[in-house]
Amino acid sequence: MSPTIEIRGVTKKFGAFVAVDNLDLTVGRGEFFGFLGPNGAGKTTTIRMLTGLYIPTAGSCLINGYDVHRDPLPAKRSIGYVPDQPFLYDRLTGREFLYFVGGLFDMPAALVREKIAEFTATFDIGEFIDKRAEEYSQGMRQRIVLSAALLHDPGVLIIDEPLVGLDPRSARLVKDTLKARTAAGLTVFMSTHLLEIVEELCDRIAIIKEGRIIYQESQSTARRFNGQLETMFLELTK
Amino acid sequence: MGQFLLILNVKSSAFLKSATDIRAQSVLKNISSLLIFGGVALGVFLLSRAATGYLLQQAHIGLFLFHRFLSMLLYVFFITVNLGNMIVCYATLYKSDEVAFLMGLPVAHHTIFAAKFLDNFFYSSSTLLLLGLALLLGYGSYFGMSAWFYFFTFAAVLLPFMLCAGLIAVIVLMVLIRVASRIGIRWLLAGIMAVYLSAIYLYFAAVNPVNMVQEVMKHYPDVNAYFGYLDPPFVRFLPNHWVSEFLYWSVSGEPARATWHLVTLYCIMATLVLAAGIVARSYYYRSWAGASEAATPGAARNTLLPVRIMDFGREGTIARPFDALLRRDFWTFFREPSQWLHLLLMIVLLLVFLVSMSSLELRLTQPFLQTVSYLVVFLFDGFLVASISLRFVFPSISLEGDAFWCVRSAPVSLRKLYWQKFTVSFVLIALTAEVLSVASTAMLRDSPLLVVVGACATAFVALGLTALNLGAGAYFATFREKNPIRIASSQGASLTFLGSMVYLGTVVAILVVPLNRYFEFLIIRGTASPGWLIVPLIAVALVTGLVFAFATGVGLATLRRDS
Repeated sequence: MSPTIEIRGVTKKFGAFVAVDNLDLTVGRGEFFGFLGPNGAGKTTTIRMLTGLYIPTAGSCLINGYDVHRDPLPAKRSIGYVPDQPFLYDRLTGREFLYFVGGLFDMPAALVREKIAEFTATFDIGEFIDKRAEEYSQGMRQRIVLSAALLHDPGVLIIDEPLVGLDPRSARLVKDTLKARTAAGLTVFMSTHLLEIVEELCDRIAIIKEGRIIYQESQSTARRFNGQLETMFLELTK
Repeated sequence: MGQFLLILNVKSSAFLKSATDIRAQSVLKNISSLLIFGGVALGVFLLSRAATGYLLQQAHIGLFLFHRFLSMLLYVFFITVNLGNMIVCYATLYKSDEVAFLMGLPVAHHTIFAAKFLDNFFYSSSTLLLLGLALLLGYGSYFGMSAWFYFFTFAAVLLPFMLCAGLIAVIVLMVLIRVASRIGIRWLLAGIMAVYLSAIYLYFAAVNPVNMVQEVMKHYPDVNAYFGYLDPPFVRFLPNHWVSEFLYWSVSGEPARATWHLVTLYCIMATLVLAAGIVARSYYYRSWAGASEAATPGAARNTLLPVRIMDFGREGTIARPFDALLRRDFWTFFREPSQWLHLLLMIVLLLVFLVSMSSLELRLTQPFLQTVSYLVVFLFDGFLVASISLRFVFPSISLEGDAFWCVRSAPVSLRKLYWQKFTVSFVLIALTAEVLSVASTAMLRDSPLLVVVGACATAFVALGLTALNLGAGAYFATFREKNPIRIASSQGASLTFLGSMVYLGTVVAILVVPLNRYFEFLIIRGTASPGWLIVPLIAVALVTGLVFAFATGVGLATLRRDS
């Protein structure tokens, strides 16, 4: 399987503090990859480097063979990103925000219109689509951000804590959508603390601690944790 | 009281930590601030001393008239502090996450109010306090006052005077927020603006400075008497009058008469503190809750605006990322009351400036005076353009805000984003500046050549100021701050404004000698070579080029930083 995401010897330092230390990872096409670790381990920093928000101190991040920092535009065209905090423009409605994101990805307005109708139904956004983001709950913001990430049919979805603030019904919707999209070839790189989600969704996982990978599965395998992932995680990260 | 002190302690610790940060970048910023603020304070001090000396020793206007001019200046100062506090108070008392956090804790609402009010007062008034102190030092040094006078006048006169302005602002604000739910925020804001403009107009109409000068100067050269009978009665009830009277009697060597005015000021301040406390106890929480719960206008309102062309759903005629960024900036701007309200205020100020210009007779017969009048008008145009750039261009990168992730992670070059902001800002700023320049120089009945020179110099200045404010706005970007007013009044913004003033000063310095020679030839010999004006314009273009290259380089480099 050719790697869709490649992280090669990436290090990120903030002053003297090493947040990510010589990280190597590859994720193949259509894989659902779980990126786990305790608080402050370097998960969000890694994701921010993958999406071009942070510049690595050393090493490189490649998406579909494009270096995110040297050749950012083609790399970013195939990424959908869901940040850990779903910040939106408070003064724009959800619909306007999606049109805006569509514009950034050079999508025709007619196609964006279709997609908005699709996501409004899929994520049960309803009439909130025409309300301003300043009125949204955390869960509604999360749904809009997820819609924005999937709007341009990305090949790679990078998600930082996808289910924070979602009620059980919304969480189910998101999980089902992600499953269906992965089956259709979407590559997902997901960071989360919710181990039951990992057990349910992920094909492969890696665990990061203090900026270094301490556990990584080398190939996709059938799920075999049988509820023991928590025990393994706690043991590895203690 | 304990909670109040605790909150203040936390806030002052945070401020001290930031002020004493020993990282190279912070130290450099602090030193630059110190140098620039110190330089401006020194300039204001020298100007204040020279102006006092000129008016009293050369123009012989006398102490009374001088202090009446001072009183008018203090009135404008009072209104500025008052309006500034009201605008910033709205953000700090009603729209702040910190207040929302504190409201969830077992802290009395009026304690939160008091802590946030003080925070806001010193935050929004610090630059004016510094300028006030520099003015006071210049004024006092002319009269050879003792060190005690400065300390006392600053701490016990200027500070209470400004506090009165701040207290009135916050009391009015709390009442207005309660009323706003009934009449709507837009009408309320328009009403406030009308009241402030009327207050300034009525004050000057009643004081009638021209009449006062004529009445006093009838006694020339023996004008150094007290002409209090010329004051309209209502003026005696204004804080600016008490302060100017205090200063008048202090420098006249009659401290007993000065004290009465100080006592009046303290009584009013105490009353206002009490009133603010009472209003805060009754209104603050309810008005805060009302402002937080107020339903925000929905998208349906868009149809009311004649700007359907900017609707997101429409296919644009320009390239998609640029088009999308433009539409987003348009809607986020016009849906933010503090943005469009300030824009409206700026337009009113520009109109007032143009109307004032039309009634001035500045076509003079002496070359130097003609040069000064031309450059003063040019400088004033530049000052207005610098203010508009600071208020609207400087915050534009910061206003990308927490949602900047969606642009940064999209396939959009950050250079494109930067140039989109630059292009839109430059077109609007240059258009405004050119209208001002052409209208004001034409009103002075200058020759077509001078109008063209003014227009060219203004175009360069618009380019320089736009680049400077955008570049500095990127360098000092604060993505967590949602309020554009706070961004435009931050330390970085003050530094940028001072930088703009230095740039404008340089442009004027380049123009002054050649322009004077041009007027000498024109007025004395009846003809002058355009070469006197073209060469300095090239020099202005070069300086602008340097400012543009430096600011844009810094801005673009900053955008590449981690977010």
